[in-house]
Amino acid sequence: METVFSARAVTKFYDMGEVRVHALRGVDLELFAGEMMVLLGPSGSGKSTLLNILGGLDRASAGTVQYRGFDITQAKDRELTQYRRKHVGFVFQFYNLIPSLTAIENVAAVTEIADHPMKPAEALELVGLTDRMHHFPSQLSGGQQQRVAIARAIAKRPSVLLCDEPTGALDSETGVVVLEAIDRVNRELGAATAVITHNADIARMANRVVHMSNGLVSHVEPNENRRSPRELHW
Amino acid sequence: MLAALDRKLLRDLWAVRGQVLAIAFVLGAGIATYVMAASTLDSLQRTQARLYREFRFPDLFAGLKRAPVSVLARISAIPGVTNVEARVAAPANLELAGYGQPISGQIISLPRGPGQFNLLHLHAGRLPESGRDREALVSDGFAKAHKLQPGVTLKVTINGRRRVLEIVGVASTPEFIYQLAPGSIVPDFKTYCVVWMNADTLEGAYNMTGAFNQVAATLERGARTEDAVMALDHILRPYGGLGSHGRKDQISHRYLSEEFKQLTIMSTMFPAIFLSVAAFLLNVVVGRLMATQRGQIATLKAFGYPTSAIVVHFLKFTLVIVVFGVALGIAGGAWMGGGLSRLYMDVYRFPYLDYSIRPSVIAVSLAVSIAAAATGTLFSVLRAARESPAVAMQPANPGRYRRSLFEASWFSQPTRMIVRNIERRPIKSLLSIGGVAMSTAILVLGGFWTDAVDFMVFAQLRRAQLDDITVTFIGPVSIRALYSLTSLPGVTYAEPTRSVPARFRFEQRTYRTALQGLEPEGRLRRLLNKQLEPVQLPAEGIVLTDHLATMLGIRPGQILTVELLEGSRAIRQVPVTGLVSEYIGVSAYMRRDTLNRFLREGDSATGAFLAVDPPQIPSLYQRLKAMPAVAGSAERAQVLRSFYETLAAQMLTFAFFNTILAAAIAVGVVYNTVRISLSERSRELASLRVLGYTRGEVSYILLGELMILVFVAIPVGLVFGRGLSWLMASSAQTELFRVPFIIEPSTYALSALVIAIATVVSALIVGRKVNHLDLVEVLKARE
Repeated sequence: METVFSARAVTKFYDMGEVRVHALRGVDLELFAGEMMVLLGPSGSGKSTLLNILGGLDRASAGTVQYRGFDITQAKDRELTQYRRKHVGFVFQFYNLIPSLTAIENVAAVTEIADHPMKPAEALELVGLTDRMHHFPSQLSGGQQQRVAIARAIAKRPSVLLCDEPTGALDSETGVVVLEAIDRVNRELGAATAVITHNADIARMANRVVHMSNGLVSHVEPNENRRSPRELHW
Repeated sequence: MLAALDRKLLRDLWAVRGQVLAIAFVLGAGIATYVMAASTLDSLQRTQARLYREFRFPDLFAGLKRAPVSVLARISAIPGVTNVEARVAAPANLELAGYGQPISGQIISLPRGPGQFNLLHLHAGRLPESGRDREALVSDGFAKAHKLQPGVTLKVTINGRRRVLEIVGVASTPEFIYQLAPGSIVPDFKTYCVVWMNADTLEGAYNMTGAFNQVAATLERGARTEDAVMALDHILRPYGGLGSHGRKDQISHRYLSEEFKQLTIMSTMFPAIFLSVAAFLLNVVVGRLMATQRGQIATLKAFGYPTSAIVVHFLKFTLVIVVFGVALGIAGGAWMGGGLSRLYMDVYRFPYLDYSIRPSVIAVSLAVSIAAAATGTLFSVLRAARESPAVAMQPANPGRYRRSLFEASWFSQPTRMIVRNIERRPIKSLLSIGGVAMSTAILVLGGFWTDAVDFMVFAQLRRAQLDDITVTFIGPVSIRALYSLTSLPGVTYAEPTRSVPARFRFEQRTYRTALQGLEPEGRLRRLLNKQLEPVQLPAEGIVLTDHLATMLGIRPGQILTVELLEGSRAIRQVPVTGLVSEYIGVSAYMRRDTLNRFLREGDSATGAFLAVDPPQIPSLYQRLKAMPAVAGSAERAQVLRSFYETLAAQMLTFAFFNTILAAAIAVGVVYNTVRISLSERSRELASLRVLGYTRGEVSYILLGELMILVFVAIPVGLVFGRGLSWLMASSAQTELFRVPFIIEPSTYALSALVIAIATVVSALIVGRKVNHLDLVEVLKARE
């Protein structure tokens, strides 16, 4: 299997005045092509920091992260922007849609600057929102907004999809719909997907579950029996 | 120990220090104009009042040909008159070694013993000792202009005879605060001088022993000046009285009053406009700044702080900005006011200046600012505090948007975002446009002043007065004197003029000024209409400056009563046959031959306008100086120079300070508009950055909106500025000046340019902040 990300001895600390807070203390991790990985751990375990570094939003203090042979820890700001633009799809806990753009326009905002994007309508169809294409974010429910966010993330046909607590702000029923969308995208587009959650049930939809605590990967647990989100309960 | 909330306050202020500074600047600029104008005017008026008191400025004045000292007893007996003092004053030509141009002056006799009125303030040296007939004092403006010290000598021609005087002192008095050579419109300290010398000497030289030709008096409190004037005129008539008058018509006092009137208008209008603009902006900006604090307000409420405590907390926040801004404004205003006052002092010969800022000025500054800031704060904070804390702490719901009326299918998503954002909050967009437009408008107002002054000069000195040298004779002379002028080398053409002091009356209104007799087809002195086209003088009747007609309430076709204050002292009924447009001074005109007939005199003149071959001007001066009939001569170029050095300098400095402040306001407004926009939208913009938008693409969304707003605001501001200028021009109408409503295209262009530069600079500063958007932080942050 092709390795998309390869992280080696990644550390990250924040200097908060006189105290140095270690968010990551030497993480080694791979993400493989087409894989669905769930990052599980309590808050403060370093999940988000790791995801932000993988996504080119933050820089490691030490260690290397290779994306298909490209060392993003050494990349310049401009290169990171291009990296995010071409290869990474993001889904956030609070959706972060542009309120002044309709669903389809939110997606178009990304396809306009991507190299080989799908049509915005196509991306919305993948998340089951064809009938809501021309609604503004204020006219959509939380789950619908998150599905627009997923459509926006995948419309550029990214090689990686990074989701930080995508269901964190949703009730479980809506959460399932959103996870289904992520699952479908992962299966149909083959984007390597990393989902952060602190909900152990969600982990059952992954190929691999990475447990994190205290800034380290505590153990990696392969999941032979990958479940569909429909079968999850929490 | 500071309370936790107060510590938060200080840190919050520090976090938005760029905006705090920009708001304080806008407010400070508004306050500064007010403080500058109010303190300058106050200080000048206080100083004038104190000088009049300390140096005893009299109430009644009269000039005459010659009267014996015995007449003084009759004057003292006029009811209401308390003190009387007489003196001799003589026109003179002066020569100063090393200064080629002609100097005209007035020589005044010093009182024997301690004087009663117009006491001298000695700036240097001493008084002439009695019996020393070579010793003299000169006026301080002249001494300063030529850097003269006691010990320097001066050649003086009195009554055709030359003498050499030694300057023993430099002095000033309240009667010459505004020092004007007869017939001129602006003070020129280089070419006009007041000289004081011992009475015996001057009386001897001027054939006035035992006589006087000027008298002044003080009146009892409550005595009517008009009654005293009539009584005095009656007494002096047989002695060639030239008409007595109260303080109102004393030259220095009158010009000073008119200038103060002008300054009052400027110092009311400019600050009123600036302060209301600043208050409006303060209100808007503070309101928007508070709106960005929504999450914090919710958090505080969740902690259990009552709404009132939260309101007080944020009021403190704005109060700090206000106090900072007001302090900045007062300091800046005092500094500029001091500078402006000193500039006025150069023209008004005040021996000292009581510079002060009234406490009420500071109180008004604070009150206006606090009111504007407090309402802005209250409105926003209360609105945020009304939300339940749970809702307010959530990320704000996505704002409701709709498709814009002005969008095309080919718009990129960022462009769509820009137009929808502008349209979604029309009030906010309008306020931003309004703020930028107001700054543009006050820039236009500042520039208008310069254009107006230039146009005044253009009209007066390039269209109406076309002579190179104006010659004033010692009195009425036969027209034959003109022929001798024409024959002087360098003089290419000469035109006579007859000027006589006159009192004009229509209904109950009177006005005293010069009546000038001009040649009907004059080439060197032309009367102009509003369009600056020459107006022909009719054979009969009188033509008035339009402002004089307004003051007298008379229209062409009506009959004006003209009382000539010289010679025949005839009182005539004359039809007003036309009006002429003049921006400087107030005069009345008729044909010289008609005026000669009025005065029952032959073909005579009191002055002449000369066209001169420029290279010959210096040598012509020498010849003019030697002519006994010539009392003085003035070069147009010199008049132009002194105009720009004195009156124009004051107005233009005032306008310049205002332009600087307008620019400060413009920068503050534009910066705040875009800076607050950034805080309101940082989450959106950071999301786009995460999605792979470059800094440039994200900046486009933010700054594109600003550009559109500014683009709309500039023309609105130019129109608005034109309106303000019109308002200013129509209220700045005094006897000294009528401010023409003229705005050059360059003023519009410059105003627009300043706003454009302010926009670019603000965009660059804020653009840097876009570069430093913390992507991770913004995604986590809830508001």
